[in-house]
Order: sequence, then C-alpha cells, then structure tokens
Amino acid sequence: MSENITNTGQPVIQIKDLQKSFGDNYVLRNFNLDLNDVENLVVLGKSGSGKSVLIKCIIGLMLPDAGSIQVFGDEVTDLSHDDLDVMRVKVGFLFQSNALYDSMTVRENLEFPLRRHWIKTEKGSVNDLVMEALTNVGLAETVDMMPAELSGGMRKRIALARTLILKPKIILYDEPTTGLDPITGKEICHLMLDIQKKYNTASIIISHDINCVKITSNRIVMLIDGVCYATGTYEELSKSTDIKIKQFFD
Amino acid sequence: MKSTALHKLLVETGELYRFAVKFFREGFRPRYEFAELLRQCFYIGNKTLPLVGVTGFIMGLVITIQSHPSLEAFGAQSWLPAVVSVSLVREIVPVITALICAGKIGSGIGAELGSMKVTEQIDAMEVSGTNPFKYLVVTRVFAAMLMLPLLIIVCDTISLYGSFLGTNMKQIITFHLFVSQVFDKLTFGDIVPSIIKSFFFGFAIGIIGCFKGFNTTNGTEGVGRAANSAVVACTFVVFIIDLMAAQIADILHIT
Repeated sequence: MSENITNTGQPVIQIKDLQKSFGDNYVLRNFNLDLNDVENLVVLGKSGSGKSVLIKCIIGLMLPDAGSIQVFGDEVTDLSHDDLDVMRVKVGFLFQSNALYDSMTVRENLEFPLRRHWIKTEKGSVNDLVMEALTNVGLAETVDMMPAELSGGMRKRIALARTLILKPKIILYDEPTTGLDPITGKEICHLMLDIQKKYNTASIIISHDINCVKITSNRIVMLIDGVCYATGTYEELSKSTDIKIKQFFD
Repeated sequence: MKSTALHKLLVETGELYRFAVKFFREGFRPRYEFAELLRQCFYIGNKTLPLVGVTGFIMGLVITIQSHPSLEAFGAQSWLPAVVSVSLVREIVPVITALICAGKIGSGIGAELGSMKVTEQIDAMEVSGTNPFKYLVVTRVFAAMLMLPLLIIVCDTISLYGSFLGTNMKQIITFHLFVSQVFDKLTFGDIVPSIIKSFFFGFAIGIIGCFKGFNTTNGTEGVGRAANSAVVACTFVVFIIDLMAAQIADILHIT
C-alpha cells in the first residue's frame, strides 16, 4: 500500500472502464470517475442505477467484472485481504441503513473499528477518540445508550461518528439522507460539510435527494444507464436542457 | 432450467456443504475470536439452560410415571430406574434437548444474522477490518458444538432426578438405591455415543442457523423466513443424525 495520502489536489480515487453486472442486468458499463483530494463529489442517479454498487466496489465489498479502481494509487482488485483492511482505515463508509450493531452500545459501536483495525491506543485514548468523534457529531451524551434508543437522525450521526473515528481521508456516503425528514436531512448535509472542513476529507456522496446534492456537492456525476452520462457543478447541470438530466432537477 | 422444489433443495444442500467446508477452512486459522466465542457460549449455554432443565425434569417424571403400569403388569417395578434411565440417557434427552436447541438457538442465530445481513451490519463489520465469517459463524458453530454436550449432560442429571421423584410417587425408594440401580444398568456404551452425537447436533444447529442467516434476502420478510427455515432444517437434520448415530452404534456393537 502506498502512503501517498497528503493533500495534493491529485485524484485520490481513479475509476476506469468499470463494469459490473448481476446476471443479465448490466448496472455499470465502462464507468469512469476521478475523485480529487478534498472534494465532495455527488453521484446522482435513479434507484437501482448502480450507485451503491459503485461505492461497494471501491471499498472492496463487491468485485467488479472488469475495469480498474485505484485508491491512493493502489489497484483495489489486486489488494490482499490485509491490504484491503489497511486501505479501509483511510476510506470510511457510511451505510444507507447506518449498520449500527444492535447488540452494542454507542461506545462499543465506535470502539469496534478501532479495536478491529488493531490501532494501538491506550485505554484512555480510545475513550478520548470515542468522545471526540461523538462531540464532532453533537451526540456526546449518547455514549452509553443502545442504538434502538436513538432517533433516525441520531443513528445517522452515530454511524457518521463511527466512520470518523479512524480519521479517514475519504468518506463514501451511501444515500445519507434516506429515511430522514427534510429538516434532519438538511442538518446531516451541513454536518457532512463541517466534517469535510474539520477532517480535510474527500467524499463520494451517493444520493438522489436533490436538496442534499445542492448543499453538499462541489461536483456532480450523473450515473445513467451504467455510464457517466454528464458531469458538472450543481449550477451547470441544473440549467441543462437534456431531458435525462433535467428530470432530476425539476 | 426449470426450478423445481427438488432442484432448489439440491442447490441449497450444495451451498450448505460449501458453507460447512468454509467453516473448517476458516475455523482453524488465526485470528481466533476467543472473546466472541465465550460470549456465544454464555448466550447459548446459559440462556438455554432453564428451558432444557425444566423440560428434562418433566420428561424424567412423566416417562417414569407412564412406564410404571407396564412394568407393574409384569411384576418388574424394581426395573423402573434402570429401564427409564437407559431410555433417557441414550435417546430421549439428547434428541429432545437438540430439538429445543434447534428451536431456540437455530432460530435465534438465523434471525440475528439475517437481521444483520439486511441492515448491512455484516458489510460494516468487513469494512471495520473484521472477517465476518470468523467473527459471526465460526464462533457460533463452535459455541453450539461445545454447549450442546454440556446441556445434554445437565439435562440427563435433571431428568434422572425427575425420574427419582416419579418412582417415589408409586413406591418408596431411597436416592442411594435409585442411583445404584441406574448405574447398575447404565454403561459407557450408553453415555458416550449420546455425548458424541450431541457434538454433531451442535454442529448441525450452528451451521444451519448461520447458513440461513448469512443468506437472508428480501429485507425483514426474509429474516422471518430465515429463522423459520432454520428451525425446520435443524429439526430434520437432528433426526437424520440420530438415525445415523443409531445405525453406527449398532454396527459397532456399542449397545
């Protein structure tokens, strides 16, 4: 694994000719994408268009059929299991369903990735890291609560805190506002921006929530029919007259 | 190819076989999840014990009460402790305990892992630097394999005490005499095969519960289906293993 993860303005993720199919359903057909350092890139597309598949391929949860995915210069499909784990310390993933462990408290949920990645920390500093991550999402008081006791918005924040605890350089957000009311959704979007500034992260945000896209995006990639159909800023794409693009912004 | 019920059954059996092979491949390689194994042993053993204990007591009591008239008809009441204890230890307790565990542990594992699968907790575990197969499957299967024999030994003891009380309802017999009569007839050939087959019961319950949970699809509806099918499959396999164990014991003259 290369350690070249400084803020260089260079692409931190490069995807070339990515293909992925499920039987006869081709969700990604020669998809290309570059994520630059400290950039919020939104991938916009319809449900079932392969957005989540894309970021699961990036993190190594799914294997692509063909194509190249480079994260910090390393080809993800060639990484061994141990190297994938090293890469996953630098790349956080916020799941659509939050994926908090129901049988663990908030503290245990946050400690889990720290302990599993064998990050050598004293007992005191583990606690400090947990409290720092929780404070950054504004939920320090929930540390000893169970996930079932929290609201949807709070669970999303805790899931984000769990992603942040390893201080990743890239965060992959899988539909971060799904299932939340518009006000809470907006709060989560602003929180994502705060985190980008505080942690200097680059992000890929999978979404079809146009308000979230407007708030968070530096750049948008339209994933339509398995390819990168268009790319641009929110202002550029929202003025497009192409019917396939226009329908997302109406 | 037309997907018949038989075809689906064969495909699922093949997938279960591959899942079991993966268990043996992953289970004996580091990193070992001892803390999680102990937690699962506690969960499976401790939480199933009251149910198994009460059932064992009732089985011992009822079988003794119901056997008494038959033996009395032949004037063989004094054989009651020996006859009942052999039935309990060889067959009834291991199978009933395994069936209870199939219901409680098999469905519990199926539902828990199924729920984790549909809420992406298993994916989250993998992203967190954990091999979910080792952490979730290997620990649960080993815990079931370790706890089933212990539960059966405890249940044997409790059911024999139930049998002692049942015997005393119709005749007076001291505890010392009861134990003496029981162990006069009960041999290692009765106890050891029942313990050995209980390891296989534990393995079957653990691996099937995990397999069903790990392969859950279709959201929350799938979780219920995984739990239900885990119980059905575990119950069926317990009887198959019992049949095979009886045949093997017979061939090897362990009777």
